[in-house]
Amino acid sequence: MVCADHGALLMNMTLTEVAEDGERIARVLRYCYDLYDYDMVLVFTDPYVEAQALGCPVTLDPYPTLRGPASNHSVDRTEQIIKAADILKSEIPVPVFVSIKGPFTLAAFLGGVEHYLKATMKSEAEATHLLQEALHHQLAYLRKLLSLSVDIMIGDPLASSSVISPGAFCKYALPGLQTMVDMAKAKNVRVGVHICGEVAPILKHLDDLSADILSIEDIDVETETIRMGGVGTDTILNGDVERIRSEVKNALGNRPIILSTACDVPPQTDPASIKTMVSTARENDPDHGVQE
Amino acid sequence: MIESIRKAVIEMDDEKAIELVSIALKEKTDPVDILEKGLISGMQEVATLFARKEYYVPEVLLCSEAFYAGFDIIKPLIGKSSQQSKTKVVLGVIEGDIHDIGKNIVKVMMEAGGYEVIDLGRDVPIAKFIEVVETEKPDILAISSLMTTTMVHMANIISELEQRKLRDTVKVIVGGAPVNEEFAARIKADGYSPDAPSAVKLVEKIIGG
Ligand code: B1M
Repeated sequence: MVCADHGALLMNMTLTEVAEDGERIARVLRYCYDLYDYDMVLVFTDPYVEAQALGCPVTLDPYPTLRGPASNHSVDRTEQIIKAADILKSEIPVPVFVSIKGPFTLAAFLGGVEHYLKATMKSEAEATHLLQEALHHQLAYLRKLLSLSVDIMIGDPLASSSVISPGAFCKYALPGLQTMVDMAKAKNVRVGVHICGEVAPILKHLDDLSADILSIEDIDVETETIRMGGVGTDTILNGDVERIRSEVKNALGNRPIILSTACDVPPQTDPASIKTMVSTARENDPDHGVQE
Repeated sequence: MIESIRKAVIEMDDEKAIELVSIALKEKTDPVDILEKGLISGMQEVATLFARKEYYVPEVLLCSEAFYAGFDIIKPLIGKSSQQSKTKVVLGVIEGDIHDIGKNIVKVMMEAGGYEVIDLGRDVPIAKFIEVVETEKPDILAISSLMTTTMVHMANIISELEQRKLRDTVKVIVGGAPVNEEFAARIKADGYSPDAPSAVKLVEKIIGG
């Protein structure tokens, strides 16, 4: 998953210059697509677009940082994401996915991550209230994205079993994810769910969401849903050619699979490594492409 | 009573921890016993539950609130006599990295282990680590990193310590999801631990010689 931060670095721009301007977001992602020639594009700048729209202080350089819980100073970049998605959709022949946060992670950003995690156990009313606010916002945002007929990738990193229990996942994260997946599916677009870290204890629930894609770190598992991943973020950043090729081949032996890095490509990644990943996939899978 | 204090920590009940510690003190229970057999023992059980995946991050955060609620009452009453309380640990998340959930758990486990912890927070510049080693003269410098992109800066801290002739004054230990034993050896750290409970054991081992 190449994101706008990698593109910005390649094009000598700061993330702030890119992430606050839809046309530039489209330009850097287009540049990466032309450079690497992969089969789907993800419109993603940083995890805090919606949190910032709802009032969280965020700084983008030298790396995106959430500076605190929601206050009343909102900066809405969702329109820039929509603009970028619209441009890319009209320019690029492969599926254009737009990243949107799952309501649980967004609620945690709004409340402050640790405060919110504690609230899930100690003050259910507060946790639920923020969750509803997050879901409400995400459904409105999703509706706008769906009107462009783009594909959707819902990212919910704090719903990971590295962080919360399967019980808390079912209570707080799963219902909102299901609502978003259902809404996207009703519009006949592709919808993926991305959760990094440990997911084994909740894999069955993720599978039962009936999304089209599950983007997870460990793809050596059985799911009904097509898995996406296969190359570690450490491999793409630090791995030599052999290591990258070996992970690609291993992933392709695990079909059906959408070959990707397990999470965002680190911005400083050497373009040669991404090219190695794509070319190894092409050599080993001539019928590539995201199928209809 | 001490067993109930231990239970209050495990059951995430900070109010109960305050109430029971206050009663125990009124009943003239030795504060060291309250701390070691009640609060610390409770956190040790929490660490086990976390390692067994019976507790997750929210549970650990709430247990640590209960621990600190009791600890804050006890702290002024305890003399700095044990080896642990003489050991100073400086802890922080490396520059460029805002993942601090794990570091916060390491912190609470270390404090529950009786060590004095100076928490530098997250996204800590290399210069800040060096400055604090100079001014605070800690026994241990514990650095956390959750990203392959940021863990490389750990090596820069160690070489900066070498250049400033501070390397021999402090033991450097490293941890965080992408870090491993081999990486720690490569950057010449003094130790690595995969999780919070073992970080405490590592400090114990290093300090114990
Ligand atoms: C000696 O001293 C010691 C000893 C032991 C030590 C120690 C120090 N420090 C830790 N330990 C050990 O003890 C702890 C307790 O037992 C353990 O700590 P851990 O921290 O490992 O465990 C915690 C208790 C629970 N685990 C966690 O809290 C991390 C879970 C995952 C899912 C995760 C989360 C939750 C988050 N993230 Co992010 N996140 C991921 C993580 C996936 C994963 N595989 O780990 C990871 C770390 N994230 C990643 C990324 C890419 C990012 N994240 C980002 C943001 C976030 C959230 C804000 C959403 C949130 C963090 C909230 C917070 N305040 O910490 C961004 C980071 C921005 C930045 N500059 O830092 C962003 C860059 C995303 C983006 N595009 O902006 C990946 C890093 C990839 C890489 N390059 O290595 C990632 C591995 C996911 C992935 N699959 O690729 C041990 O490691």
